[in-house]
Amino acid sequence: MAISASARSVLTWFGLCAITLISWWLGTHHEQGSFAPNAAVTLSVIGIAAIKVRVIFREFMEVRNAPALLRHLTDAWLGLSVAALVAAYLITRPLAGT
Amino acid sequence: MNTAATQTLAPMPASAPARGKRRDDPKLELWIAWWVTIAFYNIFTIAFFILSRTQPPPKAWWHLPRIVQWFDDNHFGILFGFAMMFLIVGFSIAANALIAQSMRRMSVSPMFAYSYLIIYSLAGVPGMLLTCIALTVGAMRPDRDPKLLSLLYDMGFLSFSGTMGIFLIGSLVWGIAIVLDNNRVLPKWFGYMNLSNALTEVVVAPCVIFKAGPLAWDGSIAYYINMVIFGIYTGAFIMLLRNMIMREDFGSGVLPVLEKPPRR
Amino acid sequence: MTNVVSAGLGRSSGGLNSKAETELRASVIPGQPDIWVLVLLEAFTFSSYFVVYMIYRMRNPGLYLHSQAQLSLQLGVVNTIVLLTSSWSMARCVQSARAGDYGIALRDVSLTILLGLVFTVSKLFEWVTKTQAGLTFTSNEFFMFYYFLTGMHLLHVLMGFVFLGVVVYQLSSPARRSQEVIETGATYWHMIDFLWVIIFALLYVMR
Repeated sequence: MAISASARSVLTWFGLCAITLISWWLGTHHEQGSFAPNAAVTLSVIGIAAIKVRVIFREFMEVRNAPALLRHLTDAWLGLSVAALVAAYLITRPLAGT
Repeated sequence: MNTAATQTLAPMPASAPARGKRRDDPKLELWIAWWVTIAFYNIFTIAFFILSRTQPPPKAWWHLPRIVQWFDDNHFGILFGFAMMFLIVGFSIAANALIAQSMRRMSVSPMFAYSYLIIYSLAGVPGMLLTCIALTVGAMRPDRDPKLLSLLYDMGFLSFSGTMGIFLIGSLVWGIAIVLDNNRVLPKWFGYMNLSNALTEVVVAPCVIFKAGPLAWDGSIAYYINMVIFGIYTGAFIMLLRNMIMREDFGSGVLPVLEKPPRR
Repeated sequence: MTNVVSAGLGRSSGGLNSKAETELRASVIPGQPDIWVLVLLEAFTFSSYFVVYMIYRMRNPGLYLHSQAQLSLQLGVVNTIVLLTSSWSMARCVQSARAGDYGIALRDVSLTILLGLVFTVSKLFEWVTKTQAGLTFTSNEFFMFYYFLTGMHLLHVLMGFVFLGVVVYQLSSPARRSQEVIETGATYWHMIDFLWVIIFALLYVMR
């Protein structure tokens, strides 16, 4: 199961680019028209961004091999940020009139 | 401890100084400077946050009547708080002297220390003082033309936020010095924290453009988030300077690690 | 890899079986661990900005959506791919340096710098075209956030060039080549990549 570090980096890069293209697709192709509010798109896009950030942490920044404290700190920051963003989005959404 | 045998031969120990008369302590000036820094920040907090209520700043978009009312509400607080600041503003040099001293102890060029001192002496004190002067002048004669009061209000708050830029360059200077230092005077993480603080100070610049919103002088980004970072930074450097003074050995090599205090 | 791992931990090499090696490797931070103070502080600061953006956005989503339509999503995607690639080349630089291939590492960091420059030029181009179209820092709330977030990010990229410059300096002479410094520079560069990933999602793509 051992793959070289170099191959691992290439796979990581490829995966990150692939989901970037997926989120681009999400941003442009959905039924209601490109620039209408769309919670599904927003939440997916934030989720994809979170995955990308965690992959960058774990693979490129080698947090995968780091002490538990750093792994927990990076996950905690990411988790809290995503939670705050999603909360801000969902809580204030019903109040907004377009 | 055989002081008779050691006093002519051994160099100054890196740990706590030998218990002699307090005024023989070579670190005395350093400790005075540190305590003066503590005093300065406490008086600053009382003057700005409690008495004059200048911090957190009032709104940048207020119109003339509301500004006049603000001066009225805080009349005595401004006068007493800033009168105090005028007296003790010189205390702020203590922190700058200690910080410059830390850079002199490092293995980097003395240019860093001198640059830092010059930046802060030319811009730091007048920058804060300008706020005190503008707002005190405004508070001194409450029957002044509201337009003049509004001018002084803007001058006071813009100059206070505007001078955060000095902390930007100062942080860069100090941060680079710490990262390059081989004498381990201050920990590398604090050097990087300086760089972080420097990058964050940039957010005050837009407050000359925006009168409302997160980038105004009272905005969530330009003021509150900025102050959280700055507060963490200030707390860190006060504690690290104390640590540095305790470790000081007046040499020119690596600053020793703090030893555990001897048993009482 | 054994030599590099045990050298990184300051121990003499040899005599390590693969399980012990994996356990040792499982607690190493590449570069100076201190850089993570900067990374986490900046991460915290930026995420505060993002939350402020989101709160302001949700008070006026129509304005934000309409303004977003003025941004080029294609350019945003290109910028993202450019930075992701620069992170990959920087990761390769660290790997090459670990293997002792300093010439290749120098080439890798140069590629990173080049991609960073491509990103910078692309950002400036984007700002210029937006400004010429009348969409400036003060046009509306969305564009205030757009210029602010991308501007703060670009400032961090510019500082990133300083770190990369130090890496180039380290790699260019056998007398230096500190693995620790190279890895520290790489960590900083990856930070600007992950920050951009979130900016892209919030400014360009979210609806």
